[in-house]
Amino acid sequence: MQRLRAILIAATLAWLAACATSSTTLVEQDPVAMTEVPVAKVEADLSAADPWAAYWNASRPAKFVLIAQQVVPPRPDRVTTDGIQVQAIHDGTRVAFRLRWPDAEPSEAGRLGEYSDAVALQFPVVNEQLPPVTMGAAGMPVHIFHWRAQYQRDAERGKPEITDLYPNASIDMYSMEFKDAAGGTQAEREQFNPGVALGNPQSFRKSGVDEILAEGFATSAVQAGHGAVARGEWRDGWWTVVIARPLVIDGASTLRAGAATSVAWAVWQGGEREVGSRKSVAINWVPLKVQ
Amino acid sequence: MPNVKNWQLGRDVAYRYDESRPKKQWAIVFDLNKCIACQTCTLACKTTWTSGKGQEYMFWNNVETKPWGGYPLGWDVRILEQLGRQDWAKNGDYLGQTLTEAAPPKEWALHWEPKDEDWMCPNIGEDDCGGGTVDGGAHLQTLPHDKWFFYLPRTCAHCTYPACLAACPRKAIYKREEDGIVLIDQERCKGYGECVRACPYKKSMYNPYTRTSEKCVGCYPAVEQGVQPQCVVNCIGKIRVMGFISPPWRARKDNPVDYLVHDKGLALPYYPQLGLEPNIYYVPPIHADPRYLEQMFGPRVHEAVARYRELPKDPEAAGLLCLIGSTERIIHRFEVKDGKATGYDEDGHELVTVPVNEPVIERPAWDARIGAIRNNTP
Repeated sequence: MQRLRAILIAATLAWLAACATSSTTLVEQDPVAMTEVPVAKVEADLSAADPWAAYWNASRPAKFVLIAQQVVPPRPDRVTTDGIQVQAIHDGTRVAFRLRWPDAEPSEAGRLGEYSDAVALQFPVVNEQLPPVTMGAAGMPVHIFHWRAQYQRDAERGKPEITDLYPNASIDMYSMEFKDAAGGTQAEREQFNPGVALGNPQSFRKSGVDEILAEGFATSAVQAGHGAVARGEWRDGWWTVVIARPLVIDGASTLRAGAATSVAWAVWQGGEREVGSRKSVAINWVPLKVQ
Repeated sequence: MPNVKNWQLGRDVAYRYDESRPKKQWAIVFDLNKCIACQTCTLACKTTWTSGKGQEYMFWNNVETKPWGGYPLGWDVRILEQLGRQDWAKNGDYLGQTLTEAAPPKEWALHWEPKDEDWMCPNIGEDDCGGGTVDGGAHLQTLPHDKWFFYLPRTCAHCTYPACLAACPRKAIYKREEDGIVLIDQERCKGYGECVRACPYKKSMYNPYTRTSEKCVGCYPAVEQGVQPQCVVNCIGKIRVMGFISPPWRARKDNPVDYLVHDKGLALPYYPQLGLEPNIYYVPPIHADPRYLEQMFGPRVHEAVARYRELPKDPEAAGLLCLIGSTERIIHRFEVKDGKATGYDEDGHELVTVPVNEPVIERPAWDARIGAIRNNTP
């Protein structure tokens, strides 16, 4: 029996080794502690954020410690995500980050009192003058890419109606929305949905990732997107999320080969009711080395 | 945190922001002795403000039966339980901790967060009595009766020190300088739900369709036109009046709300010990358990009950109570003279005059003019 087990283990190891050298299969590599994030150049199309593409083999995951957000109340009671693994690659026009962190169960929010798992990447707008890592400061903006499981649900399955969230909800009718035909104009119907009527970005179907500019806590403002894409998947107690963005975004953050820049991140555990300032964050900016 | 003056507690309290009182402060006074829980206020608000998607469960105005009712479930006992036993001084000042003072170091206020099922039974406990079980034969033989309940209509209290406003990480909640109404900016709100967690009265509500939090807007478009909110003007029992309350050091005896709250001490804020200086005021129900009333309204409630019983001998207060519900416009000043009560608007124009006592006219049963018997059937 022991011999059979030894043969099986040897065979598995041989298969894994073969996969590692293959260019068609992704192999999860052990992360290593690093003080910077190397961004390898790959010959691949990064316009689709694919967490399981083989090109991620070109990037060794770097692991970084996260701490509970410490600066402004409300703050989390404890750090719920104590580390994150980061891989980064670029194809000459886009840069993609693959982020992994443990989470016992996925949360995508929707109903009352439910919150979404989420992750955000943060870049300085002016590379030469690093803003405070705590979402920047007045006159020192940061550029944020915010993925939420909830936003991905929107992108994949549409923004949920109340009957999607609460299948047994009993609704006679909404104002100006009748069984056979809608009454009034769309604007007139939207008056009854204040966030929608006022164009709050939160009230519309999301593409998966929000692009945000901020100059300190409480100032984040969603921007018109610049073609960033994101896709995440929860498997076996881990979230793996890829956020891909253009290297150069005029008027916001820019990454160039050879030029110094930095990145930071934050993770929210929806199941632990984390949202907004209740989050785990990077201790400091991490240098990015774009090759 | 800065210290701010809270006149309801007779002392300064800790709050996230400095004291900044509005020019005028929106307030409603409810006479709980008259409320019959017809829910007309609830429906007036519902049809005006919350008929949209994601608002299905929302009642910015609700009426619940005390002691057992609560929307959301147990909103009052759950925050009181967290706060723990606190005490009042004999002179009516508060010795205990407020929600902001009792806040854990990482929070702006002591709080709890309702789950969706907590919102699902808005009329739970309706008409259930306090005072033990009702055994056979427990009908009204003696007064005071040991079985009691009362109805509690509630809107947002547009607090002077709102916990929702303090808790919002995006500063999307603001208190209007012109009338003290507290609003959630629907353009800025990101639906973090911190206001839902922080408001002890649970009057901020998350809209899962627009993904923003919403709350009672004090019917500000009406108030801007000098008209009282929908829940007030639709009250068929005429139990409530909306006006503007002054802090006690600026109180005017001829302002209806100041008169009821400051001058007569007839109306009291509810759960003032939470420390937010809420601006809905209640004339307490005179038949309920005084211990329960003291928990809800503080130690001054006993005087208020005694004064209410004296109303028949007080033509001025009785006159004001007659004015309530007699005009949909906001009464800024009132006077009672020669058996009549008159309300005036902000510019001093007369809004309405009513008799303090309706004249009693006795008519013979036989109407000789038309040759028919009169009756009282409408």
